[in-house]
Amino acid sequence: MIEDGIICIDIGSTWTKAAMFNLSHDRFSVKSRAVVATTTSHLPDGVYAALHQLQPEYDWHSIGPAPVPLRFSSSAKGGLNVAVVGLVPEMTLHIARLAAFSAGARICAAYPYRLTRSCIAAIEQAHPDILLLCGGTDGGNERYVTENARAIASSAFNGTIVYAGNNQAVDQVRDLLGERDLRITENLMPDFGRLNIEPVRETIRQVFLERIVAGKGLDELVRRFDTQPLPTPLAVLNLVEAIGNNVPGWERFALIDMGGATTDFYSFCEAYNPDSGTVLKGIVEPRIKRTVEGDLGMRVSAAAAFDTAKDFLLQSLEDSQNGYADMQSYVDRLSANTSYLPVDLAEQQYDRLLAAACLQHALVRHAGTIEEVMTTKGPVMAQTGKDLRHVNRMIGSGGFLAAMGRAGDILELQSPKPAESEKLHLLPENFEYYADTEYVLPLLGCLASEFPRQSAASAVQYLTRMHHNEQVKEFSHREFTHA
Amino acid sequence: MTPVNIVLGVIGFDCHSVGNKILEAFFSEAGFKVTNLGVMVSQEEFINAAIETDARAIMVSSLYGHGEIDCAGLREKCIEKGLEDIILYVGGNLVVGKTPFAEVEAKFLKMGYDRVFGPDCDLAKVVELLKNDLDTRQKGND
Ligand code: B12
Repeated sequence: MIEDGIICIDIGSTWTKAAMFNLSHDRFSVKSRAVVATTTSHLPDGVYAALHQLQPEYDWHSIGPAPVPLRFSSSAKGGLNVAVVGLVPEMTLHIARLAAFSAGARICAAYPYRLTRSCIAAIEQAHPDILLLCGGTDGGNERYVTENARAIASSAFNGTIVYAGNNQAVDQVRDLLGERDLRITENLMPDFGRLNIEPVRETIRQVFLERIVAGKGLDELVRRFDTQPLPTPLAVLNLVEAIGNNVPGWERFALIDMGGATTDFYSFCEAYNPDSGTVLKGIVEPRIKRTVEGDLGMRVSAAAAFDTAKDFLLQSLEDSQNGYADMQSYVDRLSANTSYLPVDLAEQQYDRLLAAACLQHALVRHAGTIEEVMTTKGPVMAQTGKDLRHVNRMIGSGGFLAAMGRAGDILELQSPKPAESEKLHLLPENFEYYADTEYVLPLLGCLASEFPRQSAASAVQYLTRMHHNEQVKEFSHREFTHA
Repeated sequence: MTPVNIVLGVIGFDCHSVGNKILEAFFSEAGFKVTNLGVMVSQEEFINAAIETDARAIMVSSLYGHGEIDCAGLREKCIEKGLEDIILYVGGNLVVGKTPFAEVEAKFLKMGYDRVFGPDCDLAKVVELLKNDLDTRQKGND
């Protein structure tokens, strides 16, 4: 069947994108593509419209199997919201965040130790799709998870609860929360410092399928095309992993996906080199890591990003008269109208600066730090978090980066000026920059777990290498449609 | 019976690792579930590990002569973090030079450590003492 092609669809919050791929010589190539506005009230309508663009000769509204296999991902309605509750902030809570992010979720709140009444009130208020409860090694601390389970049991929260804490506390947790939608999975830190995030990821993915699929018409697509959707970030994560494992030269790279509301950062590389003479404080972070910054984005979060990056922007706009004030009013315009597009050179420049600010802050937060400490044997370097220094390739994806035109500004601006602190951020030292100008990444991500080698090789081939200050062809959604 | 969790490590910027490996093997053999944090362990790391693993005791080593500075304040931090009942043992070459052991011991007891050991202590005896101390503390709590 796959010989006749395969269709991938990504249902985003604004756009539904689709492409028909052909597989030959171990590579997928784009045969045709489509983009339509996402139909939020009933998602299949947009999907059928996109499919019609791809294959007008087929009657997509008729019931019956599709003429070719079909895969899809969705991030419509903002994806999956997770609140994480752990024990020690640097340990189980941190690992819970890594696990939720790597399942493609968004984190709306994170609480260490004991859930207070105000934490519970905040959770009730935010009503996340999932509450991820963990804490304690297997055979370790039971008190906190039990107390927290009790607090949740007497709350009005009625979403799904995923328990991934001390396995010795499972009975108490089940006694307290058995009436709720409770999923019990393996401890994400069974022994101190040992990560086990795969079972949590899988459980969250399962919940995503059940919760997100129902209601917005996705169940119709699942039934008709006999395939389960992926959360879009998970599709991208799978592709990142496939690229890192299969494509020579891409053993250490990062991907940044800048959207209107969030900036997602993915990295693929060893987190820590034990032979480096550096000592590691805390856990060894996973080789594949995703973080999501909810206060860094190009439209919905433009005002928040503008605030966060104030120092950087003041510095960058130092030489231009009224620059900062003008940019402030541009950002106000963006907040008032989140689908606003820059109309002149100055506004384009503000967009680029905003993108650079998002990139810079997302990178700094994703990366670890290194600190020099004096000992009797002389100075010793102590590392915390993930070392990205040897990342030598960076992919920019998402409409904003792809359409940004010039990569140079962003490349130059992304390197943060050495901070006054003694801590050194472990950022990539030297990298080539690639842009997903063809918008293929999430689409190929739908194929990454079934066809890791082929999807990875194709993804890399479709990327455009960017050089400093190079004017790249501007891509717009319109061109995407008619390409 | 589920094994008792204990946390082990060499404090400060001390990287003498041989004794640490021996202690891990010895306490594991004696039936404890040992979380060994290795060398160059900060007070915060000892405490974080003790919280997550619900450890009943922390075994602190210091070999390189800076034990006094490195070990001070651990008891207070434990109390601060809710580990009021935890047993703290310390051992190794606790001071630089030839201070009589009794003086060294008094100093570390005053810092809040439950027992203090020199480099040539008998580990079988240490295990026995630890089991006793755990029992007494358990009874105290019942
Ligand atoms: C090997 C060694 C090193 C090696 C370590 C290699 C390694 N990966 O471990 C190296 C060369 C790196 C080294 C460096 C230094 N060393 Co050195 N080193 C030694 C040496 C020769 C042996 C240590 C050893 O392995 N012993 C064998 C193990 C099994 O014994 P142990 O470590 O004492 O542990 C046992 C007991 O102490 C006890 N124990 C330990 N902790 C605890 C805790 C509890 C709760 C209990 C119950 C028992 C207990 O049980 C353990 C097992 O039996 C000792 C001298 C000596 N003979 O002890 C000096 C010695 C420890 N080093 C010393 C010094 C000064 C240093 C340096 C500062 C020297 C320098 N200026 O470079 C540096 C410090 C570096 C650092 N940041 O830590 C001094 C410490 C002086 C002091 N405390 O007063 C010693 C005593 C030498 C000396 N006499 O001067 N050293």
